[in-house]
Amino acid sequence: MIRTSLLVATLLALAAPAFAAKGNADAGREKSAPCKACHGEAGVSAAPDFPKIAGQHPDYLLVSLRHYKAGKRKNPIMAGQVANLSEADMRDLAAWYSSQSGLAVKY
Amino acid sequence: MSPTRILIAAVACAFATTAIAAGDAAAGKQKVFQCMGCHGIPGWKTAFPEVYHVPKLGGQHAAYIVAALKQYKSGDRDHTTMRSIAATLSDKDMEDIAAYYAQGAGTSPAAGK
Repeated sequence: MIRTSLLVATLLALAAPAFAAKGNADAGREKSAPCKACHGEAGVSAAPDFPKIAGQHPDYLLVSLRHYKAGKRKNPIMAGQVANLSEADMRDLAAWYSSQSGLAVKY
Repeated sequence: MSPTRILIAAVACAFATTAIAAGDAAAGKQKVFQCMGCHGIPGWKTAFPEVYHVPKLGGQHAAYIVAALKQYKSGDRDHTTMRSIAATLSDKDMEDIAAYYAQGAGTSPAAGK
């Protein structure tokens, strides 16, 4: 019984991101002020050390932010930036930047 | 900080940027065969358990791509596939590949997706 519950809980945890709500791009734009200093006005950064994020896939941006927050991806600047972001904030930011034109798939 | 120190720092920064910008895009085009199977396919996603679209690279800053590849190679950044691929790349390979992607989507058949 316990093992079954654990299995169900694990599966739900793994599946949770797939069911969660999509971010709101307009809300993300309002939350993006701190990002602009490095990533540019709308995600096209001028400085080459900071990645362009305009047009990037929203799920990749969200995973990156989550990894910074969890300490799985290490960057002193980003660690400080994401510390106070909620899951909803990260989803909104990902929705905003992915809606901007910039990066493209290149073969 | 003294003016002299600021000048030294500024010059060091200028040289650092030049060194990273030295990639050869034409050479890079011959080296992206390992990359295109995922990054060149619109909509391609990573494998279970953490499934998400692989990042778009067309138009990305070369310096950032080089930094990311070096982090995968050193183990500072975590992704099994990227670590194993980056381990096979020299600094020159990374700079060439980065120069190729930094050019933008260009004439790519997958451009804009």
